[in-house]
Amino acid sequence: MIRNYIRKYKYSYLIGMLILLAVDYLGLFIPQYTGEITDGLRGGMGIEGVLRLIGRILLVGAGMALGRFGWRYFIFGAARKIEYELRGEMFEHLSGLSMRYYNEHKTGDLMAHFTNDLSAIRMSMGPAVISTFDAVVMTVMVIAKMIFHVSLSLTLLACIPMLFILAGGIYYGKAAERRFDEKQKAFSDMTDQVQESISGIRVIKAFVQEKMEREAFAEANRNNKEKNLRVVRLQAIVMPLLDVIIGISSVITLFYGGSLVLRGKITAGQFVAFSSYVNMLVWPMLAVGDSINSFSQGFASMKRVEAIFREQPEIVDGPAAAGGPERLQGRISVRGLTFSYQTGPERSAADDSGMERDGARQAAGADGTGADGPRSEPVVIPPALSGLSLEIARGETLAILGRTGSGKTTFANLLVRMYDVEEGMLRIDGHDLRAIPLAVLRESIAYVPQDNFLFSDTLQTNIAFGVRKLSDVPEEVFREGEASSRIFMSHKERLEEYLEQDFFRSKNRMDEAYNDLGPVTEAAKKACIHDNIMDFPKKYSTMVGERGVTISGGQKQRSSIARALMKDAPILILDDALSAVDTDTEEKILRNLKEERAGRTTIIIAHRISTIQNADHILVLEQGRMAEYGTHEELLQAGGIYAQLYEKQQLEKQLETA
Amino acid sequence: MDRKEIDIEKSAGRGVFRRLLAYARPYMHWMFFSLVLVLFITMLELYRPIIVGKVIDLFMDQASFAAVRNQGLLYLAVLLASFACNFLQTWVLQLTGQSIIYNIREEVFDHVTRLSLRFFDITPVGRIVTRVTNDVEALHEMYANILVRLIKNVVKIVGLAAMMLVLNVRIALFSFALLPFIVALTVLFKRISRMTYRITRTKLTALNTYLSEHLSGMRVIQIFAREREKNAEFGRKNKDLYRANYREMMVFAVFRPSIYFLSIIALVSIIYTGSASVLEGVITVGTLYTFIEYINSFFQPIQELAEQFGTLQSAMASAEKIFTLLDEDTMIPEPKQPVSPEKLRGRIAFEHVWFAYQGEEWILKDVSFTIEPGSRVAFVGATGAGKSSILNLIGRYYDIQRGRITVDGIDIRELDKSRLRAAIGQVQQDVFIFTGDIGGNIRLKNASITDDQVEQAAKYVNADEFIRRLPGGYREPVTERGSTLSAGQRQLLSFARTLAFDPSILVMDEATANIDTETELLIQEALEKLMRGRTTIMVAHRLSTIQHADKIIVMHKGELRESGTHQELLARNGIYKKLYELQLHKEADGSGRTAQKKGEGRE
Repeated sequence: MIRNYIRKYKYSYLIGMLILLAVDYLGLFIPQYTGEITDGLRGGMGIEGVLRLIGRILLVGAGMALGRFGWRYFIFGAARKIEYELRGEMFEHLSGLSMRYYNEHKTGDLMAHFTNDLSAIRMSMGPAVISTFDAVVMTVMVIAKMIFHVSLSLTLLACIPMLFILAGGIYYGKAAERRFDEKQKAFSDMTDQVQESISGIRVIKAFVQEKMEREAFAEANRNNKEKNLRVVRLQAIVMPLLDVIIGISSVITLFYGGSLVLRGKITAGQFVAFSSYVNMLVWPMLAVGDSINSFSQGFASMKRVEAIFREQPEIVDGPAAAGGPERLQGRISVRGLTFSYQTGPERSAADDSGMERDGARQAAGADGTGADGPRSEPVVIPPALSGLSLEIARGETLAILGRTGSGKTTFANLLVRMYDVEEGMLRIDGHDLRAIPLAVLRESIAYVPQDNFLFSDTLQTNIAFGVRKLSDVPEEVFREGEASSRIFMSHKERLEEYLEQDFFRSKNRMDEAYNDLGPVTEAAKKACIHDNIMDFPKKYSTMVGERGVTISGGQKQRSSIARALMKDAPILILDDALSAVDTDTEEKILRNLKEERAGRTTIIIAHRISTIQNADHILVLEQGRMAEYGTHEELLQAGGIYAQLYEKQQLEKQLETA
Repeated sequence: MDRKEIDIEKSAGRGVFRRLLAYARPYMHWMFFSLVLVLFITMLELYRPIIVGKVIDLFMDQASFAAVRNQGLLYLAVLLASFACNFLQTWVLQLTGQSIIYNIREEVFDHVTRLSLRFFDITPVGRIVTRVTNDVEALHEMYANILVRLIKNVVKIVGLAAMMLVLNVRIALFSFALLPFIVALTVLFKRISRMTYRITRTKLTALNTYLSEHLSGMRVIQIFAREREKNAEFGRKNKDLYRANYREMMVFAVFRPSIYFLSIIALVSIIYTGSASVLEGVITVGTLYTFIEYINSFFQPIQELAEQFGTLQSAMASAEKIFTLLDEDTMIPEPKQPVSPEKLRGRIAFEHVWFAYQGEEWILKDVSFTIEPGSRVAFVGATGAGKSSILNLIGRYYDIQRGRITVDGIDIRELDKSRLRAAIGQVQQDVFIFTGDIGGNIRLKNASITDDQVEQAAKYVNADEFIRRLPGGYREPVTERGSTLSAGQRQLLSFARTLAFDPSILVMDEATANIDTETELLIQEALEKLMRGRTTIMVAHRLSTIQHADKIIVMHKGELRESGTHQELLARNGIYKKLYELQLHKEADGSGRTAQKKGEGRE
């Protein structure tokens, strides 16, 4: 795969390397000319001669300066382009992968591929290529120059210490890397220690453990210091040692070269040139060691990145979807629905937690490894849903109730095909889910997820998220900012302005592009968030998240509801979407929903009786099974879980108003 | 942001720098030693070209090999001497730098652990961690590298200039003429590169933020089928970053060769004036060689200097942040003459206590009550009534604004803080599990609690059974937030932890979480044992726990509304009565429910 990129930019690399070759070749002339001047001065050359040689040096220097620009431009430019294209492709590929992949890979790890791996690849495709090529070419040419221009025997002698640098460089690279890793580890251990002490500060203070905690930190701190010093010790020896080795080469040159001069074998000028050549060899020797490390890191990163590309999306349109429906009405039938998460034990009950990792862990802790089962034995994952059967008629409102881990969210996840189930278990309008094109299915379901994930963007963009099409955004918005990519900028103020504006301007352009605010406000009004939004200084252009106002959990939930309502889909799923909303507002939203959703299917997952009591049917889940099913009245009569919960919540209500 | 930083530098820069130097004071002699070594090293470095120059002159004079050999040996000696000096200098300085950093880190962490909970309520964990780790690390650069390199480079520049002047004034002055250009170009480059660098950083941060947000929000994207739109959006961010990277690359691609070309011009002008002087017989060819070498090493320190000032600035910014944290003084002050009685019996009294976390937003309004040693008190009330705050105030995690809280008749503000807190055992709803093993989570870092005591405590509170079933037993590793333990297990573990520290007062927030019935029974039993012989103050949710309390205090909106025993409160016919009636209803239902559930589960 990486090979394809190299092939794509082969001309850039070729030109870059040719230029590099030329630069290296030219570089040899400067010491030669200075040597000639030395000899010339001794041999009675006039100032004109000196000027002529100076002219040559200037010419060579100008050529080299140009060349140095050239190879940077071609090779570094190509490496940057490869990084850019790879990054884009990687994101695109990831966006096609299914939830199972995301459950198994932490966001942090995926991020590392984008940051560390891509930059390691770039380093090996750019600087390392240059260094290696340059080092080899330089070494060959310099040595050739030394042999043919000065003396073979002197060259051989002077080069002996250089071999030590080469060998030492490779060894040093490895040793340094090991010690550096240790140092990094000590640092991250220390960070973990601090992180935990601060997170657990309440316990620490309660048990008066501050002193012990300080001692534990002191230990981590000391370890960090020691590991740092280990790196330093190596550097403190190696760097000056390098100087000594080069110096020894110079001494050899001095002794043997000196005697050669005295015996008239070489001229003093040649001697001067030779001294410069010796110095020119130092860098290539170091560079080779560096590049070897850089290449091996780049190679490892490439393998990791390629592993991502090998990952195949699981949830795709199968052959059955080809003749599938183009619209859905919203009649859902569930038959013997059984499903279990087949990932590790940690995530066996990732059910009600959605993407939230913390939640997943808690759920796993609470259910996956209960008190009544030893943890070490091969974990038999209890199915998240088992043998669930029911019919949801078009236009019906179904409410689902159950404790954490009972399978509520799993049910919603399966409906939007985040995971696949066996054929026939889930049908919409009589079509098996897999016989419905994925795009049609997901366009037909509006979903309000439990975690109310909003993007760091304007409220308008967030609410219109589900309906905004790529084609709504004019091409020029994507080209925005290109004009200002100048290299030189005069004022600092201007730069700051640029940094600020570049972000917001393109945002606003996006909103302008979709300037029909009407449907957005309408949806916001139905979700009872409109008034809140109008209270913000920037109204619908208010940014959510770090760069904008912090909006409360309830506001987030309602924005998320507005986002789903805007889709105007035949099926609406509210996953615990009203938990942070006060009862009055909840009532209002539910009333709006009833009006809005007339004739269309709605599934409400909730904990509060007030949210669900008016549903057509209520399903109570218990450990993935249907525990109770019926209307509010029926369930109260039955006197089961539902009735009990009802009583409890009545009590709490009394408490609040007492 | 940057402007603000500059302001800070102007106003406090001097103070910050003085404080930074104060940390170096204990190591002054080492720093001075290192400085002397630097002077040595620079001298040796400057001497080397002179030797080679001399050798060249010896060739010119057709001198004997012995003379050349002597110079060679001299060179070798210089070489070894500079190796020794270099090694010593690097080592001494790094050791000093690391030691200073170690001390600062120690001080910062120490300070943080002394701050009151108020500070932790309002400061994100991540920020504190960054201060202790990364910000201090940034200072290391300053102590271990920048300070000395700064001096080294200045010494080198001055030394080079002096040597050149000594060798030949005319050529020296001639070379200095180029200096302004070098400086100007370097400064210009620094400016531009800093700008491009900042743009790149901004774009990179934007892209990374976008990435982490969208990778964790991929579910929403897929549910809404917005993959294509998001790909296009990412493409735009990616392109932004690419352009910024490209610009940065171009800046370097232009600058590096320019500096190179300037150095060639310098070389050429030295050769020209030098050659003229050689022809005039003013200097020898060897001196010319020395000059050429000098001019080559003249540029480096100048460029480095510019770089080091930049690093110094960012180190100062980090120092500023660290000092702000060190100046933070939201501490619960330790009394001047702390009373530290042998054993606290646990008689607690609130006398007209007013408390607010900030300003006039009173959480508690004129609350008074007394708790007798060994008795059980239950606080009842809606969320936000101020129940949890009372628990926190007893351990003096916050100081009250008005009134007085006493334990055994002593104002807690006069008690030894650690003595007070050690006497109080806290059982929290959200049990924090430290990374380590089970045993370590019971004894925490208190080495005086033996393995036996740990096991005894665990046995007493019914935790022993589940611990033994873990593959590693008491050595079973657990992680932060205790992801591998169930909520009930964590609760039992926290009981064991509390018991191991044997407090005389028990303060607890009864768990409301859903726990399976089996564990629930274990917990109830353990709790009963734990409360035996201890003053117990709890925020209760279960009627059974409330009913068995010696005293029930009903809180409402920060005020104490009713208090007394179960019977007394029922007789009063107030809030409690209403609560009780509702609850009674439920309990009756609850028993019916469990029976039904059992039948249903098997269907």
